[in-house]
Amino acid sequence: MRSILFALASLVVAAGCGDDDRGPRYRAWGHATPRPGGTLTFAVGGNVATLDPAHAYDEASLYPLYYLHDTLLGYDGTTLVPALAETWSISPDGLTISFELRDGVVFHDGTPLTAAAFDHAWRRVLRAPDSPFGRFLAPLVGAEAFAAGERDDLPGVRVDGPRRLVLTLAAPDAAFANVLAMKFTAPLVDGAAVTNGTGPFALDAWSAGERVTLRRHPRYWRPGRPHLDAIVMRESVPRELAFLQFERGELDTIDQLTLPDWLWIAAHDGWRPYVHQTPQMSVFGDRFDVTRPPFDDVRVRRALNHAVDKARLVRLLGDRGVPAHGLLPPGLAGRDDELAPYAYDPARARALLAEAGHADGLELEYVLPKDETAERLAQSMQADLAAVGVRVRLRVLSWAAFLDETTRAGGAPFSQTSWFQDYPDASSFLDTRLHSRMIAPDGEPSNNDSFYANPEVDRLLDEARRTRDPSARAAAYRQVERIVHADAPWLFGYHPVGVEVVQPYVRGFALHPVWGRDFRDVWLDLAPDGARVPR
Amino acid sequence: MTRAVLGRLAGAVLTLWFAVTVTFAIVALVPADPARAVVGPHATAEDLARVRAHHCLDRGLAARYGCFVGRLARGDLGTSLRTQRPVADVLLDRVGPTALLAGAALLLQLAIGVPLGVWAARRRGRWPDAATGAATLALHATPAFVLATVGLYVVAYRWGWFPLGGYGAGGWDRVRHLALPAMTLAAGGIAAYAHLVRHQVGGALDSDHVRTARAKGAPERAVVWRHALRPALGPVIALVGLDAGVLLGGAVVVESAFAWPGLGRELVLAAHDLDLPVILGGTLVATTATVVASLLADSAHALLDPRARRP
Repeated sequence: MRSILFALASLVVAAGCGDDDRGPRYRAWGHATPRPGGTLTFAVGGNVATLDPAHAYDEASLYPLYYLHDTLLGYDGTTLVPALAETWSISPDGLTISFELRDGVVFHDGTPLTAAAFDHAWRRVLRAPDSPFGRFLAPLVGAEAFAAGERDDLPGVRVDGPRRLVLTLAAPDAAFANVLAMKFTAPLVDGAAVTNGTGPFALDAWSAGERVTLRRHPRYWRPGRPHLDAIVMRESVPRELAFLQFERGELDTIDQLTLPDWLWIAAHDGWRPYVHQTPQMSVFGDRFDVTRPPFDDVRVRRALNHAVDKARLVRLLGDRGVPAHGLLPPGLAGRDDELAPYAYDPARARALLAEAGHADGLELEYVLPKDETAERLAQSMQADLAAVGVRVRLRVLSWAAFLDETTRAGGAPFSQTSWFQDYPDASSFLDTRLHSRMIAPDGEPSNNDSFYANPEVDRLLDEARRTRDPSARAAAYRQVERIVHADAPWLFGYHPVGVEVVQPYVRGFALHPVWGRDFRDVWLDLAPDGARVPR
Repeated sequence: MTRAVLGRLAGAVLTLWFAVTVTFAIVALVPADPARAVVGPHATAEDLARVRAHHCLDRGLAARYGCFVGRLARGDLGTSLRTQRPVADVLLDRVGPTALLAGAALLLQLAIGVPLGVWAARRRGRWPDAATGAATLALHATPAFVLATVGLYVVAYRWGWFPLGGYGAGGWDRVRHLALPAMTLAAGGIAAYAHLVRHQVGGALDSDHVRTARAKGAPERAVVWRHALRPALGPVIALVGLDAGVLLGGAVVVESAFAWPGLGRELVLAAHDLDLPVILGGTLVATTATVVASLLADSAHALLDPRARRP
């Protein structure tokens, strides 16, 4: 028996050894200009729930939509720019937005784009009871009554000929234009499939749970784009498996590496030129229920912020993060870049706790979702807090139970939290998470799950929402940032840095600050016959 | 006879009802809101209220049970909360890959496990017997996720003998993709069959009727395969009947590890999102498969062994 075990062990060890050089297996051919053609293959961990823009909100489902559908507006960096709209203008009172559509845009099935296609798609979203997106259109005149079935016309959306679309808002809303870059607002042809879009790639096949195949839209409106013939997205591939597939060359690009895989890549010089990094439009941390003791005392909240070593949290992510001083990620207008994260200062934390009457320490329970990264960081925080006399018991819940437990009044008062932008605007973080309007009555789930209600913050947020001048808006948000930093309704954690590693022959790739991985301009630098070139 | 058959069928229906009810109770006990799975973590309280009303999630436990199980009884599996697709379509897509995987695993188990058991039985008491016993015990004791990880890393990645997960494009490519997950799923079963056959055949080889067969001058091959193995087949077939449940359970782990788009992985995803209609539908399919396999095994047993036909 022992000899069998020994033989097995040696087999595994022998199999694991012998990796002298594990840099990229392929190299770029060296074309000077983009070479058209080829198929790009990547994998995602989740499975595609739906390809219907009215319903897709999860990462895996949104990836294909990104290529299938174009919208009125898009982003250059985090700045809104016209996409399907050729030009757009906002009336001086901020209530009317007019769009001239681009000429010569056709859907995948050859139907020319008209303004009516937007009207059709938006009515559809408003009337879909299971859609999470209808509320984003609520600022349009009559949208809420239309959604409730109280009226059958939608006066906020006026189709003025085939190429002119005029929107009317019930009140000025400086952030609303961002909604017109969200995928659920993409135009649809009445009676055609919901995957029939105007984007650079059309749906070739979807084998649910296995893969989505997209092929080039030959009549795409941007000249010379896309370069690729096809994109294949493999679904539900565990991250560890995806990395093996990437290393062996089955995948052309990979993101969301596990910590061991990331450290392995980072340690190999051969991979360095092919690693792309950019801060993501999201924030991670821990929220306090500021209405419940001991978190109703701002000194306790500040003490905990001082007690946690955020630099270590970031190191535990393999340096794929930036410590946070508030909710707004780097690069977002309105972020106060002069604010620094709470300094790691256990002595100050102890003093603040003593001041608040907790000189003998505290016992807390902390709730987190079942997630490897969340658990690793929670243990680091637990150790930091123990050092200042705060004993923390960790309670791990499934994702669904976690959401329920941490968003209702009376639920867990101290838990892990995170927020991903709906669109790159300060309001998408601050209004949603900290405006008192987002506290739901009767113990219903609240997006403001700190139950933080500060009239001054509410006033500034409302004012910023109405203000059109970008610098005045940014100033108002910076003021909110400073108040929130001082009030500390969260234990501010970090902003993740997205990392993408591509094969050397993948060219034209850049991580987009809004969309993350973006393959629209990618081309494959392969041999003239289309073969990959071994290194 | 008719009475016995009707009795078995009634028992089967009762089993299905029990499985669905227990599953419903477990999902209902999870302190979480399935409406979240429909509209996501960014949803507002109004979004959630609307979705709950639309899917009869805003009522009491008894009303929800009536709502889901009543529809189930009428043959309507409902609509997936997360994908808005009919549950019947979702499951129909998934049954094929799982049936292929489980079928291949069962074939491997029988094709390797039974001859291995016979081989060991003929050498009982000697070292090949002990080695087989130890090896099968070790195999049986190794969890599927360990085998899957080692298989993927060593056999597929380092040696490059098989593809790194996935379903393949069909034809020969499908077979290549099937091989490693099927072997992983079959591993524990190979050990179980080998162990069972070793003991059944080993016992039979010492029995009177085998001695008689030998004394009559039957060739050794016939003695082993006809006189010793045939009576051992009863328990083997009973094990096949029980195996359906074991294979479906193992498929949950193996399919997830190998990115195999089957029923097991679908159920994991549905459980994660509390997608009750898919969870109940999947449970119903898995329970039906187990019950049917068990009924078939009993019938086959009765055909092979007259003793089993007695009521």
